[in-house]
Amino acid sequence: MKSEQSSPPERSPRILVIDDEEQIRRALRSILQARHYTVDLAATGAAGLEAAVDTTPDLIVLDLSLPDMSGLVVCEQLRAWYEGPIVVLSVRDADADKIAALDLGADDYLTKPFSAGELLARIRAHLRRISGAELSVREIKAGDLMIDLAKRVVTVKGQPVHLTRTEFDILAELARNADRVVTSHALLNSVWGPDYVSDTQTLRVHVSHLRQKIEPQGGVSRYILTEPGVGFRFAGDPDIPA
Amino acid sequence: MAAATALLLPFRAHLHPAQAMLIFVPVIVAIGRLAGVRASAVGAVLAFLAADFVFVPPYYHLTVASPADWITLLVFLLVALSSGLQTGAIRQRERAAVQREREIALLSRLSSRLVSEESIEEMATFIVGEVAAVLGADRAVVFVRAPGDRAALMAQAGGVSCGVAEGAFADWVMRNDKAVGLPLTDDPSIGPHPVSVLVDEALPGIVADGVYLPLQTGECLEGVLYARPLSGVESSPERVRHLIAVANLAAAFLERRRLEDEAAQAAALQESDRLKATLVSSVSHELKTPLAAVTARITGLLDEGETCTPDRVREELEAATEDLHRLDSSIGDLVDVSRLESDAWRPVPDMWDIGELLGTVASRIPVASKRRVRFEVAEGLPSVWVDFRQVVRALSTMVDNALTYAPGADIVVGARALGTDLLVWVEDRGPGVPDEEKQRVFEKFYRGTTSAASSSGTGLGLAIVREIARAHGGRVWVEDAEPRGARFVLSLPLQGVSP
Repeated sequence: MKSEQSSPPERSPRILVIDDEEQIRRALRSILQARHYTVDLAATGAAGLEAAVDTTPDLIVLDLSLPDMSGLVVCEQLRAWYEGPIVVLSVRDADADKIAALDLGADDYLTKPFSAGELLARIRAHLRRISGAELSVREIKAGDLMIDLAKRVVTVKGQPVHLTRTEFDILAELARNADRVVTSHALLNSVWGPDYVSDTQTLRVHVSHLRQKIEPQGGVSRYILTEPGVGFRFAGDPDIPA
Repeated sequence: MAAATALLLPFRAHLHPAQAMLIFVPVIVAIGRLAGVRASAVGAVLAFLAADFVFVPPYYHLTVASPADWITLLVFLLVALSSGLQTGAIRQRERAAVQREREIALLSRLSSRLVSEESIEEMATFIVGEVAAVLGADRAVVFVRAPGDRAALMAQAGGVSCGVAEGAFADWVMRNDKAVGLPLTDDPSIGPHPVSVLVDEALPGIVADGVYLPLQTGECLEGVLYARPLSGVESSPERVRHLIAVANLAAAFLERRRLEDEAAQAAALQESDRLKATLVSSVSHELKTPLAAVTARITGLLDEGETCTPDRVREELEAATEDLHRLDSSIGDLVDVSRLESDAWRPVPDMWDIGELLGTVASRIPVASKRRVRFEVAEGLPSVWVDFRQVVRALSTMVDNALTYAPGADIVVGARALGTDLLVWVEDRGPGVPDEEKQRVFEKFYRGTTSAASSSGTGLGLAIVREIARAHGGRVWVEDAEPRGARFVLSLPLQGVSP
């Protein structure tokens, strides 16, 4: 099988997997080790919390259904001191848990069953973000859309698009976090500041205007996808109709 | 009577004894009118004595001096008694007529409720209330049949419960199918009713008053009606007859409810048996097929070992991934259909633009098929009040279906407003759906007969779409597309409905 990533990172990032199911742990270990990540495994919430202290991982993959304690509690306790990314895994249809986990400080979620490609893409995106590599990114390109973060200019198919300051900030925040969920809470916090985090209706109006300006004709959102009850996800590789 | 005597006393000198007696008569009539037969008879005798004692010389003696006064007195007694009794009887008849009217009104109220949809408890409460109010029972209780031929208290009115004894008698009636405590009578109007036994015969040693009537229909004992005592016109046969009529109506109501419940249960059981059987065969087929395919591919690769080229490994693994996707969507169908049917997945609506709903639908189209799907959405559509996940689930199913049943051909997803509804449709250029199947395709486990692809899938997808449409107060249907193919249309009210 072809390897997805060519050059291994300088220091291999350390990932802690907390999942009670042996099959999932084994699968994740072999997938991650094949990409030169250092992998620690924990089968319970308590063991996971302990391992997190011992190994200080760069990223934690946390299953929400654990035998000894709720994954939500684990997430909350980790967030008391741990600042690295937490990606939660949940089964289909446990939307409420997913949303609760994001509220408690998880950075992203994946629904089982997921493909290795999806998981690795999320992990890479989060590690890139904390490495600060994104801060130096000047341009983000997705489909026909080009965002110049330094000049605060957006073009669609080479044509400049006029965005308000707020619309640009929203788009930039979403695009910097391409392919992962940005909660309404986080988006409001980063664009308006901590005093406005509950004003989701205002946010939706701005996103709606933003979509009208950047989305392709045909009334179907391609760049900014809605995650109901959670927030939005920017499609890093959108499928734009010809 | 004393008042009348005292009133007349000062005029004794001016009155002939017969005149005084004449004045007593209307007083006695009034007593009969107000207080009934017995009181008027007593009044008449008292008037007779008072007349003799006070107005007939010698005064203050019961002896009578003149034989003529004797005759006057006796005639007065006769007149007083007969007029008093007469008016008393008239009063009694009037009251009985009013009571009968009330009782008949009760029966008519009761019978009009027989076909109502109210619960057994509501009906029982109504019955005990009416028996207490109209038939004058101090206490009334309805028991219904409980498992093990026991009588379970359903509703009670008035009085203090003598719990154990009432329960014991009701149980006895339930087991023996005989009334307890009905007055023994030859009155044919009371029949047909179950044989009555004396209280003592039922449960010797236990004291109980009142009447326990079995609530019986042709075949089955539905419960017991207890009333204590039947007061008023002294438990006339008529009143007993009315109580029995109430019991018969109550029994008819209980029987109807029982038969309805049994029929509904039987139907539900039959339907669930059929669905279970289909479910089991569908589940085992749909889950096992992809599993078997994956197992075969992977063990095949293992078996080939080192002779296997990397390209071939990749090809097999990609095919296995597709099988696993199919497995996942089958599991998803099963989970969703059971959540929807058990009402565990109620819509949580919010205001959404159709563009964001379709954006998510588009993002879920398998990569290999993305180029086949074209969107034609009218500009400026109003927002819809729907559950995002459910509607995306429904539309994704419609798109997947079109991709499967019209292989190779392009698919158009469109949306527009029509009146107060939003229409979203998925149109394909496949073989279409014959008229006779246009309804049936939305049934669970129904698979079209025309397409080669008809054997794939759980046969639950469109049933899920229909359930979601219903939950939103909308609907889904299929029509012929031009020049050929099928167009599945989901119609949702723009304003939404409160779930």
